[in-house]
Amino acid sequence: MFRIQRIPSISPLAILSSRVIAVVSALVVGGIVYSLRGFDVFDLGANVIDSSFGSEFGVQDLGLLFSPLILTGLATAITLRIGLWNIGGEGQFYLGAVFATAIGLFVQGPDWLILILMFIGGFVGGMLWILVPALARAYLQTDEIITTLLLNFVAMLLVYFLCTGPWRDPHDTVTSATARVKAEMPYLFGDLHWGLIIALLLAVLVAAMLAYTKWGYEVRLAGSNRFAAFYAGVPVRRRLIQVMLLSGGVAGIGGMLEVAGTVHHLQGGMSNNFGYLGILVAVVAGGAPIAVPAAALLMAVILNGGIVLQSYGVSTYEVLALTGLILFFVAISEQLAYYRISRPPALKAGAGA
Amino acid sequence: MNDTEPAATPARVAAPSAPPVVQMQAITKLFPGLVANDAVDFDLRAGEVHALLGENGAGKSTLMNVLTGIYHAEAGQIMMNGQPVRFGSPESAIAAGIGMVHQHFKLVRAFTVAENIHLGWHETPKLVSPALLESRTAELAERFNLAVRPSARVEDLSAGEQQRVEILRVLARGARVLILDEPTAVLTPREAGELFKALRGFTARGYSVIFISHKLDEVMEISDRITVLRAGRNVATLPAASTNAVELATLMVGRELHPPQATGVGERKLGNIVLQLAGVAALDDRGLKALTDVDLALHEGEIVGVAGVAGNGQRELTEVLTGIRDVIEGQVRIGGHVMSGADPLAFLDAGIGHIPEDRLRSGLAPAMPVATNAVLREYRAAPIARGPFYLPAAAMALARRIVADSAVLVPSMRMPVRNLSGGNQQRLVARREMRVATRALVAAYPTRGLDVGAIETMLRYIVEMRDRGVAVLLISEELEDLIGIADRIVVLFKGRIIGGFTAAEADPERIGLLMGGRVAEADALATQPTVS
Ligand SMILES: Nc1ncnc2c1ncn2[C@@H]1O[C@H](COP(=O)(O)OP(=O)(O)OP(=O)(O)O)[C@@H](O)[C@H]1O
Ligand SMILES: [Mg+2]
Repeated sequence: MFRIQRIPSISPLAILSSRVIAVVSALVVGGIVYSLRGFDVFDLGANVIDSSFGSEFGVQDLGLLFSPLILTGLATAITLRIGLWNIGGEGQFYLGAVFATAIGLFVQGPDWLILILMFIGGFVGGMLWILVPALARAYLQTDEIITTLLLNFVAMLLVYFLCTGPWRDPHDTVTSATARVKAEMPYLFGDLHWGLIIALLLAVLVAAMLAYTKWGYEVRLAGSNRFAAFYAGVPVRRRLIQVMLLSGGVAGIGGMLEVAGTVHHLQGGMSNNFGYLGILVAVVAGGAPIAVPAAALLMAVILNGGIVLQSYGVSTYEVLALTGLILFFVAISEQLAYYRISRPPALKAGAGA
Repeated sequence: MNDTEPAATPARVAAPSAPPVVQMQAITKLFPGLVANDAVDFDLRAGEVHALLGENGAGKSTLMNVLTGIYHAEAGQIMMNGQPVRFGSPESAIAAGIGMVHQHFKLVRAFTVAENIHLGWHETPKLVSPALLESRTAELAERFNLAVRPSARVEDLSAGEQQRVEILRVLARGARVLILDEPTAVLTPREAGELFKALRGFTARGYSVIFISHKLDEVMEISDRITVLRAGRNVATLPAASTNAVELATLMVGRELHPPQATGVGERKLGNIVLQLAGVAALDDRGLKALTDVDLALHEGEIVGVAGVAGNGQRELTEVLTGIRDVIEGQVRIGGHVMSGADPLAFLDAGIGHIPEDRLRSGLAPAMPVATNAVLREYRAAPIARGPFYLPAAAMALARRIVADSAVLVPSMRMPVRNLSGGNQQRLVARREMRVATRALVAAYPTRGLDVGAIETMLRYIVEMRDRGVAVLLISEELEDLIGIADRIVVLFKGRIIGGFTAAEADPERIGLLMGGRVAEADALATQPTVS
């Protein structure tokens, strides 16, 4: 007879290994299903790995998915630290892109200056897009999940309006997009730009701020028990607002980098759902900013792998199913990690259970 | 480890042949770095109240958590009516008839009483309406003779009412063994009396009770047998009739105890006013008036005791005095300076410490490490902070110091604070607040949940602070403690201060009458010539 027992707290190592086990098990289950469908799983797997890491192009593609996912993931993870959910990364990403594009198109100056202005603009754009939900949350206790989510749709429509209306590039008759933004992010190699480094640095910076500043202590305390934080003298309301603004700003930087480094103009649908995927990244990272890059990389490999799989005849649905499976397993593992199976000391069949 | 009576012998009870209802044999429970229960034997007979005594952290709650399947022992076995059992969860324990009411209530605060009673219960009908749940709850309340209001929300209930809901919840599920973990810590004396009556009715039906408490007189009153734990071991199991409070205290602590002396009461000169309320009125969380026209001044070097039945505005009084709650009328002054608005930080900066009445909800972040909680009030300044930075290593060092000063056994400062025993959490909060209370300490039930030795230490600390010139406001239901150490006592009734006494003229009988709001009778007592 085995017993299952929930233990109250577990080590970071146990959390990490549970994630790894979850991803591997999801791949095994997915692999079995794929092979039943007649695919050569090992061949497919090798192709995914090879096309993600095996060539310079693969690494570039991966990197271009990786950086925005870090930033949108970070945006949601930051709010989780204070016990809130920013579901509006998508909208803030778009607004960051809008502000950056406006600066890139309409401000004259040397490229380096324009890039700095675009960076600031992206941050401010994202912040402005979450300002109302943040104030509503702090002063009226309005649920931020709903307000941030709804603003995503507004942002999406705003971008479509700008791209098909006032900012539309008259020379481009095929797509609805703005003219090309001249200033470009410097490149690491190939198409892969410095946005990746910026994103990684931001994740480390945010994690360090939370762990090693008074501000971060206050945020963590307020996220754990708001009453106790208020009692301790933490200006809880101000911290809520600051954290939400920072979160929006980070997502906005994601949009700015996408414009300045990858897409080079504003275009409807350019967010690629990065904002929503960022929520998943934050969940997989367990809400810890320092774990966001790892989770974002996993997500990037899944997305990139999906593209590869499709080119081998795997349907979109099967790709999505595998993606869902991985996330599903990770989410379950988060709970299961708290349980232990143990064998009781020698005893005849118990009456309990 | 059973000096006085071999636990395995089911002797001297009504039905000597029947095996004990519950028998725990050589239970050992380990936590990382700590032996919480060390080969403990414990047995419970039909129809008895068996009290469990021991210092904070002795392992009482843990032993009961093992019995109800929340924890699993590393060694030992449990028998019910002579059959070995093993519970995987509290649900299977309750299915076997063992129910527990925890030290910290586990009700869903936003739900009604009826909803809480029916939550996670297999007998709850599949299709429910509030009316159905409420009528079922009313029936149950009648059957078990426990007065509850089925449609009330739990967050609006007094501690005594919440506890009745917890007990009803357990009894409704068919418990024949009821475990109560420090049930009277949060009850008024009257509520405690009602609880005891209910318990006697319960044992009269042949059911059994395990009763954990630090109040020795209560234990002597209600229990048939008493088991004392010390540092995780069973040091004695005795019939209540053959022991006394002094012997029990000595067994628990391993040494004799001395009650604190009142030092220099009455003679001392009062210092300046530190903290003052002038004509204060305040609302409670529901927006009802909780304090009315309160005038109160705390001077340097005095202990002002607040007597009163819990729920008469004590919470709001401590909160306006520490900047957590706004007043709607009147002024709060610190050293003559009028404070504006609720601003806990300003009060902290002025040197006012606060031991809140509900430590888990407002004084601690239960899920965060001991270290994080220990520095809650001091993280802003050196050595914990340098400029804008927070230094985890310095926080760890301060936490170790506070933990050592409060004589709490904590294997790791990284452990979540909720893993500390109830009394140890209280010690930690108290110690932390005493450190920052350089001018005034506002202490709500600071000895709640503490063992007898720790109460002695706590009261001594408070007296020492007073002697150093700190102003202390001490809220307590223990009239004896108040009269023992306070320089002045005021009585709080329905949000008003309806009486003030110096230590010399404090008369328990008069204060008792005032606590019940019987002003006229109290005045009549006062006019009689005193014979002293
Ligand atoms: N989940 C846990 N993880 C680690 N240590 C624990 C855990 N639960 C309890 N302990 C430790 O076990 C010891 C016994 O705790 P327990 O709660 O049983 O004490 P207690 O006798 O009920 O004390 P009190 O009178 O203060 O309530 C304490 O030192 C406590 O810190
Ligand atoms: Mg306990």
